[in-house]
Amino acid sequence: MKTLMIALASATALLASSAMAQEKIKIGAAPYGLNAEFMQIWAAALQDHPAVKSGEVELTVFDGRYDALVQQDQFKTMATQKYNAIIFAPIDVDAGAAAVQTAADAGIPVVGSNTRVNSDLLASYVGSDDTISGYMEAKTVLDKIGCKGNVVILEGPVGQSAQISRLEGNKKALAECPDVKILEDQTANWSRAEAQTLMENWLTAHPKQINGVIGQNDEMALGAIEAIKAAGLDVKSFSIAGIDGITDALHAVKNGEMTSILQDARAQAQGALDLAIFNAKKGDYKPQSDIWVTYKDMPWKDGKEKIYNVPWTPVTAENVDKLLATRK
Amino acid sequence: MSVGNNKNAKGWLGSEQRRLLIQEYGIFFAFLILVAVLSVSNEFFLTAGNISNVLLQTSINGVLAIGMTFVILTRGIDLSVGSVVALAGLVSASFVTTSATAGISGAPYPVVVGLGIGLLVGVACGAVSGVIVSRFSVPAFVATLGMLSAARGLTLIYGGGRPVPALTPAFRWIGTGDVLGIPAPVVILAVVFAVSWWILNRTRFGRYIYAVGGNPHAARTSGINITRIQFVVYVVSGGLAGLAGMLLSARTGSALPQAGIAYELDAIAAVVIGGTSLSGGVGRVTGTLIGALIIGVMNNGLDLMGIQSYYQQVLKGALIVGAVMLDQKRNYGA
Repeated sequence: MKTLMIALASATALLASSAMAQEKIKIGAAPYGLNAEFMQIWAAALQDHPAVKSGEVELTVFDGRYDALVQQDQFKTMATQKYNAIIFAPIDVDAGAAAVQTAADAGIPVVGSNTRVNSDLLASYVGSDDTISGYMEAKTVLDKIGCKGNVVILEGPVGQSAQISRLEGNKKALAECPDVKILEDQTANWSRAEAQTLMENWLTAHPKQINGVIGQNDEMALGAIEAIKAAGLDVKSFSIAGIDGITDALHAVKNGEMTSILQDARAQAQGALDLAIFNAKKGDYKPQSDIWVTYKDMPWKDGKEKIYNVPWTPVTAENVDKLLATRK
Repeated sequence: MSVGNNKNAKGWLGSEQRRLLIQEYGIFFAFLILVAVLSVSNEFFLTAGNISNVLLQTSINGVLAIGMTFVILTRGIDLSVGSVVALAGLVSASFVTTSATAGISGAPYPVVVGLGIGLLVGVACGAVSGVIVSRFSVPAFVATLGMLSAARGLTLIYGGGRPVPALTPAFRWIGTGDVLGIPAPVVILAVVFAVSWWILNRTRFGRYIYAVGGNPHAARTSGINITRIQFVVYVVSGGLAGLAGMLLSARTGSALPQAGIAYELDAIAAVVIGGTSLSGGVGRVTGTLIGALIIGVMNNGLDLMGIQSYYQQVLKGALIVGAVMLDQKRNYGA
């Protein structure tokens, strides 16, 4: 009897909620994968958006599982279910175009976020320019070693758009210091463990010669730090930089072991969601996220811009505690 | 390199023993040649620091590969070890972290608690696979493929997808400490190897493993409890994967949910390069150790020479296929 009552009650609740959902704007978010910290912060920021909290928007996050085909199928599902708008962070710059086409055919606006896609059909894109962060991190390393000496570069998976752009930025900064020699330059696939092994071997191959480590993300910079510690060397005698501002890296910055540049996942996510709602409501919308107030350099411009560049924030001894406080 | 002590398991086949001898020394010679080439081509290769590095870098795969040897000797396979590495590494880390947010309540616990939990997680995963394979006769490939997926999912659920940083120095010692100058993971690998060697070569259980893999029907007829043997090898592999997971967390200083991806492939590669037959019953844990060392030395050597990691992958692929071709020739050809 009790079970029956519960079943009845939940059935009623289900009916009620689906009736309510009719009024809501249905927005799907399709990130390339949810295994790493950055995308988790990104997805959590979407759920934290005022429009989602107030119930104005019904948000569903799809895990792309790092597979272009999985993402494409998710777009088909969203088209069938008549979503009002889609937020898209594709795994691949070219493979993502087919998914955007699927949405366009179904008349669903797509807003890009974090990773780029080669498609003119995107309503807008909210992300950060990796060329700039690549330049900034390399510049920090080179400034600290006085524009002379030897550096190594830990690259992301070759061919990924972030690796290509960050390397372009790295090289631009290195070109300004012709006396600096690149001793090694290899991929560690964004992985801390792989970077640790590479750095251990490089420290052996170039004893007392490495002055700077340019890690194209924080994970790899942290792997290099572990290798340096394991070799019994002083981490602070190296100049080490990473990108992204993941929690472990914030702690390392606090300890004075490295520098990092925060890629603001929250701003990329909430900015994209504001634009998605704007497009779903055909322009009848004012942005609700506080990020538009935070970043004066990225004006809303009536939601009409094609590209919104979220500025990079260098993590420093001054702001690190404040950033750590947000990672609870 | 003990070869002659094999009488118990294979003593009835004189020529088999001779073949094993060639097999074992064959892989050992290949290893020596590789070391010789690298020593000549890079001045740093044969330094004490680098030898210590290579052993350190081999330790995790070595531990996994030894567990894998037990399984493969019974004609099985354990595809789940990479995921179990992540799960055990993360769960144990949550007991020994000083981070207020990432740990479970009451953390950090003493290091023995963390180690015990990590081993337990590994053993539990192995036990589940073992029951499914031995009791329900599900092919090992399928059972452990299921565990590969499930254990990775559990890892992400347990930690909410977040890493567990700030492990206690006592726990980190197993990854970064040393015993009389020898890195702790290397000492652990040596102990795992010695115990495994003893089990496989000196105990009745070890002989049964070879018997079950060599000819299951004959083993059953002669009264060996096949179900139990098959169960235990997955427990061994799971437990060692748990140990490897903790070594990895301790070494990197933070347990990552995406750790250990594709580690099963390197472990299987070490076993295969080491001359253990995928059709079961034939193989040596010594060969596995050398197989793991070959992979470690090759990666290290190519890094020292500044050769791109893509070439390392190509070479490793060639080595694996070459080793199995030799194996096929031994079993069916010539």
